[in-house]
Amino acid sequence: MDFGLTPEQQEWQTAAIEFARTSLNDDMIARDHKGEFNRDFWVKCAEFGVQGLPVPEKYGGIGGNVTTAIAVMEGLGYGTKDAGLLFSINAHLWTNSVPILLYGTEEQKEKYLPGLCNGTLVGANGASEPESGSDVFAMKTRVVKKGDKYILNGTKMFVTNAQVSDLIVSYATLDEKMGVLGICGFIVEKDFPGVSISKKIDKMGLRTSPMAEIVFDNCEVPAKNLLGREGRGAEVFNCSMEWERSCILASCLGTMRRQIEKCTEYARMRKQFGKPIGKFQSVANKLVDMKLRLETARPLVYKIGWLKDQGKSAVMEAAMAKLYLSECFVKSSLDAIQVFGGYGYMTECELERDLRDAVGSQLYSGTSEIQRNIIASMMGL
Amino acid sequence: MSDIKEYLRDYILQEFLPGESRENLTDDLPLRTSGILNSIKLLQLIGHLEEKYKIAFDAHEAGNVAYFDTIDGMANLVEQKIG
Repeated sequence: MDFGLTPEQQEWQTAAIEFARTSLNDDMIARDHKGEFNRDFWVKCAEFGVQGLPVPEKYGGIGGNVTTAIAVMEGLGYGTKDAGLLFSINAHLWTNSVPILLYGTEEQKEKYLPGLCNGTLVGANGASEPESGSDVFAMKTRVVKKGDKYILNGTKMFVTNAQVSDLIVSYATLDEKMGVLGICGFIVEKDFPGVSISKKIDKMGLRTSPMAEIVFDNCEVPAKNLLGREGRGAEVFNCSMEWERSCILASCLGTMRRQIEKCTEYARMRKQFGKPIGKFQSVANKLVDMKLRLETARPLVYKIGWLKDQGKSAVMEAAMAKLYLSECFVKSSLDAIQVFGGYGYMTECELERDLRDAVGSQLYSGTSEIQRNIIASMMGL
Repeated sequence: MSDIKEYLRDYILQEFLPGESRENLTDDLPLRTSGILNSIKLLQLIGHLEEKYKIAFDAHEAGNVAYFDTIDGMANLVEQKIG
């Protein structure tokens, strides 16, 4: 078992840090305040290769393995303070591009993946609904097959990238009585008849990542846009969630590293009572705890890369990494503010945004409670 | 038919109910409607049966509780499929 990066992966990560630091940090406070998605940053990321990371070269991607993707996302999280942008890219990659790559027909892959990799297309995922979040397969969005089309009716809630998306991987049920085996996955283009972006949703954090509701009102989806088999949409969804839980918090490892460096430097420089505050155990211990959280969370994430690169399933490992890292991220973000004292509470210090961004990590891709349920289930409980 | 049932029983015990007594996993025990098999496990079981017996269940078969709830129901459907 070796979780070390290869020289090539190390090069990718170093390049990602430099790219993110120099190209993805402009006007961060103002853009966060306005909740502004930056399409130029999106295109720059695509040019760097981020959106093509897990996609084979034949479809316009980089063809990197999972560990490389994790390493790059960690580097981006370290280099940029725009966690919202990375959140949008993660949603695009793991719940749109990857399901199309793994479950799409050859025609679907050839049609959509090149644009998803080169930045011309933005992907979204529509699964949650007003009345089904954690219990996602209790969805009410119905689908009926009519000739060579599927007709969708329903509302999808908390859709990341909704306003800027070009295509949505979404889910609907043939019949609620069929439960999980009635779920179908679809690739829905934003211009299909009956698709509308409804209410914009403002959030506590990740504010540069747009979010809205999507309404399907007799939305006509060509039968060829069924994603996976009819009635096996849950398999597509579960797979996309496993990928998302595996990789979505890799960037947070980078953020946590940046927090530690920032706080350590401050604790060395800031003097109170005649000496650097880092010489006080109450401050130093916070930094030790932050370091410990980072060093214990990182192997969980890289173990997933190691497993998935061998073609192995990582359902439980993904849930454990998501659960542990998200809770570490919140605690370390609070500690970082505490180390800075009053200054840490100020927007200008740029730590309060990390905390607001971190809170979401315990909610998206399944709450911490749901991750614990998954782990318990995998333990045979 | 009994071979299919025993195979199903072995697979479910090994994959989803480690440590459970074989006697407790009866032919008529509801697995899906009782929540013993959650969505991930149910999909894994169906995929495994399709691969093992080289068959395909359509959505209305797999989604029908009459077929996919008990070992009895699943074995019946598999037997029909393999003819």
